[in-house]
Amino acid sequence: MILKKPPEAGEILQGTLDMLILRTLVLQPAHGHTIAHAIEQTSENALEVEQGSLYPALHRLEDRGWVSSEWGVSDNNRRAKFYRLTDKGRKELDAATGRWRKMTRAIDLILGQSFE
Amino acid sequence: MNFKRFQGRSKKDRDFAEEIESHLAHEEDLNRARGLTPQEAHRQANLRFGNPRTVREREWRFRSLPFVEDLGRDFRFALRSFSKSPAFTAITILVIAVGIGVNTAVFSVVNTVLLRPLTYPDPQALVQLVNISPRGAFPGASIPRFNLWRQQTAIFQQVAAEDFGGAGLNITGGDHPQQVQGIHVSADYFAMYGAPLAAGRTFTAAEDSPNGGHVTVLSYSLWKSRYAGNPNIVGATIQLDGQPYLIVGIIGPHFVTENPADLWVPYQFDLNSHDMVQFFTVNARLRPGVTIPQANAQLRLAADQFRREYGANALPPDGGFGVQSLQESLIGDTRLRLFVLLAAVACVLLIACANVANLLLAKAASRKREFATRAALGAGRIQIIRQLLVESLTLSLAGGLIGLALGYAGVRLLLRINPGDIPRIGEDGAGIALDLNVLLFTLAISLLTGVLFGLAPALRASRTSLSVALNENGSHASVGVRGGKLRSALVIVEMALTVVLVIGAALLMRTFMKLQSVDPGFALRNVLSMTMSISGDRFQTSAPVAQLIQQGADRLHALPGVLDAGVSNCLPMADGFGMSFDVVGRPHGKGPVTGGAGFCSISYGYFSTLQIPLLRGRAFTRADIASAPAVVVINQAFARQYWPTTAANQDPLKDRIQIGPGAGPAFAEGPRMVVGIVGDTHDRGPDSDPTPMMYIPLAQMPDLETALNSRVAPLYWFVRTQSDPHTFINPIAAALREASAGLPVAHVLTMSEIEARNIARQRLNMLLLAVFGSAGLLMAAIGVYGVMSYSVQQRTHELGVRMALGAPTANLRNMVLRHGMTLTLIDVLLGGGGALWLTRFLASFLFGVKPLDPISFLAPPLLLTLVALVSVWAPAIRATRVDPMTALRTE
Repeated sequence: MILKKPPEAGEILQGTLDMLILRTLVLQPAHGHTIAHAIEQTSENALEVEQGSLYPALHRLEDRGWVSSEWGVSDNNRRAKFYRLTDKGRKELDAATGRWRKMTRAIDLILGQSFE
Repeated sequence: MNFKRFQGRSKKDRDFAEEIESHLAHEEDLNRARGLTPQEAHRQANLRFGNPRTVREREWRFRSLPFVEDLGRDFRFALRSFSKSPAFTAITILVIAVGIGVNTAVFSVVNTVLLRPLTYPDPQALVQLVNISPRGAFPGASIPRFNLWRQQTAIFQQVAAEDFGGAGLNITGGDHPQQVQGIHVSADYFAMYGAPLAAGRTFTAAEDSPNGGHVTVLSYSLWKSRYAGNPNIVGATIQLDGQPYLIVGIIGPHFVTENPADLWVPYQFDLNSHDMVQFFTVNARLRPGVTIPQANAQLRLAADQFRREYGANALPPDGGFGVQSLQESLIGDTRLRLFVLLAAVACVLLIACANVANLLLAKAASRKREFATRAALGAGRIQIIRQLLVESLTLSLAGGLIGLALGYAGVRLLLRINPGDIPRIGEDGAGIALDLNVLLFTLAISLLTGVLFGLAPALRASRTSLSVALNENGSHASVGVRGGKLRSALVIVEMALTVVLVIGAALLMRTFMKLQSVDPGFALRNVLSMTMSISGDRFQTSAPVAQLIQQGADRLHALPGVLDAGVSNCLPMADGFGMSFDVVGRPHGKGPVTGGAGFCSISYGYFSTLQIPLLRGRAFTRADIASAPAVVVINQAFARQYWPTTAANQDPLKDRIQIGPGAGPAFAEGPRMVVGIVGDTHDRGPDSDPTPMMYIPLAQMPDLETALNSRVAPLYWFVRTQSDPHTFINPIAAALREASAGLPVAHVLTMSEIEARNIARQRLNMLLLAVFGSAGLLMAAIGVYGVMSYSVQQRTHELGVRMALGAPTANLRNMVLRHGMTLTLIDVLLGGGGALWLTRFLASFLFGVKPLDPISFLAPPLLLTLVALVSVWAPAIRATRVDPMTALRTE
């Protein structure tokens, strides 16, 4: 049974999808569909979420206890599973954001210096 | 690893499916809001999401341990497939169970004897002190040796002396005098073995010195059986051989010594003694951190000191002292014996494996289409191999479970029938336990067996060529030439191993028959032997012993049906005492004395009771009393060795012998006239040559020697009766009790029983190999039959064509027979060759049979050929009954 590589998350860098999902949930709980669109729209469609890999990511976050879920009714009046950021998830988001900022700054420094 | 991911998988999947539905619905809503038609909105949503099944499957797999699940599925499949062919499954499991059962049985003995540590605390530190001479290392100690050894405190924590066997003591002073196993020990004995105390204390050093008083320590079982576990018995006095003994303590349960004891009394050695007689054995506990080589180095120095102190006669220059692990010395040569048995059962297991592999190959042939179908549906080679291995492992583990029960029950039953002289297995093998070692061993060989017999068929089945297999007509599906060759090879291996086993069994059987036919040199029929302990103060000199013998013999002769009675202080067919001697007037050669020989003190009726023939001179009579001239009778082996020529000046009957020159004060006596020569007896068992023996009258023993003797050995009474001696036991015991003023007798055995016990080891060897050999033979027969009948079945078409073309049926039959017998011939040659090489390991178990005994090497192959012929006959006959029309029509 060969485990295939996790599907490429569109143009989203590997490992960053988790962080983006957590960020989307900061303000309010949301269901999967909303999360995908929120990421795409907030990034001005620069990032495309592959919908098939969004849900496994959500479930993984739930297994780790960073989000919790419950079934509810969406704005469209349809049943949907809503994900809510937990305290543990909030801490993880802070940590991940910090790591990300550090790295992009480092990369910026290098790119900004050597170009022209 | 986050184990949450494996929980509630089905529920999570249903949840996920619903979630996907919800997602698609929302996406559709969005698309419709963008103005797409409902159909297009649905299509786009699905397109965007991808295949929901794939996503779900991916997550399902993420939440699973694929290997475990596949194994589980294969296992369930295996069970289904077995339930379809119950007969095949039952036979296979039975064959494996027998193979694993015999291995479990032998391993449980190996485990108990070789692997399990002694029951004492920290048993690795226990050693036995040995005397080293050019002939080897032997246990045994004299008081000066013991005294020197116990002073080696740098290497030993405790040093303790104990009896070799013990003379037995009589608990008297009640209605039921009882002979018990009383063992003399020195004070440190209990501390050395770490014996637990149930009550009271053990001996003090003062109690273990001369004039230390009469004290004893009881074993737990004697305390329970004779004194009903009464705790007040400590401090009470019991009568041992008429003397009051103070009970100072009771040893706790579970203290089992290799030399079983009912009670212990202190030796009370005079450590200043210069007595060089070695009449007891010494064990010691090493100090923590001291190794056996270190102890041996220290004991080399001690040997030099011993020589300086007691002179070169006490310890020859090439002699010395050493230690051996106590466990090693208890096991002795049993190790090799058990390894031979292990090899034999491994052979049985391999035969079983070959047999099962053969059955599986046959089954795989009929399942060829099944595998081809599976392969066509996408199963890889690995998957097919794995599935078949799971099947064979299921079979082997089931067989292993049954084999475990079979082996455990079998070994207990077998050792109850015949303990076979194996040390450390307890009474009737009761010491053999089913512990973790045995369980792990059985599990391991079950797994190994499963892989061994499953791998070849699995590999073959997985190599199936799809198009060929699927296109082949079902009933005609064959494994092809290659499969046939593999199966033939397996049968050859199986039968060759069987030849080896059966040849080994034949050699041991011939050994046993030879042993049984050895004339022991004395009467076995209608002779009863029994022991009488004379350890009490009454028998510290020879006169009362002589009187006891005379009174006892007279009373026995008065019993109707009793023909003769005699006494000795050694048991024929058991290791006796040895003593050095000088032939008076003969110049010494290199050594300090003329030689050494077996030594036994007997009564006047001894030779006639045991019917040991008198060859020359006279036997002892009533007149050979202490005041009469000192006499000795020798046996033929003695005469031959020391009077090799028959010249006139070389007549033993004209010589005198000085027994035990310089052996110490206990043996101080004058020279004895050789008055008679008697026939040889096989005292060291029928498989060794007769030892040269010197016999002296008990009545003429020096008093000190009698005193010493009464402590280390009982008297053996021998009574020859007119008919079955068992019916005389009670009157004989009563007569002897009267004659001895109340001494009981114990260990009542007929001489035939003693002889049977002496060859118990060879009997067990033979029995086991015979069982293994027949198991192998049976399996080999099944194997040959299987291969031949399969081959006939495969060739039905060919045979039909031949028959249609006019081949006589006899030709067809002979063709099959020829094929089968060619196989057999190869096996016999291979097996015989293997046996030629392997029987060298059996050489030390053989007696009177050469390792290349022609009968043992010819009979088994003939037997096997016969068995093969019978097994091939039925398929051969079937070949002639092939109906050409039917055979051709199956095309």
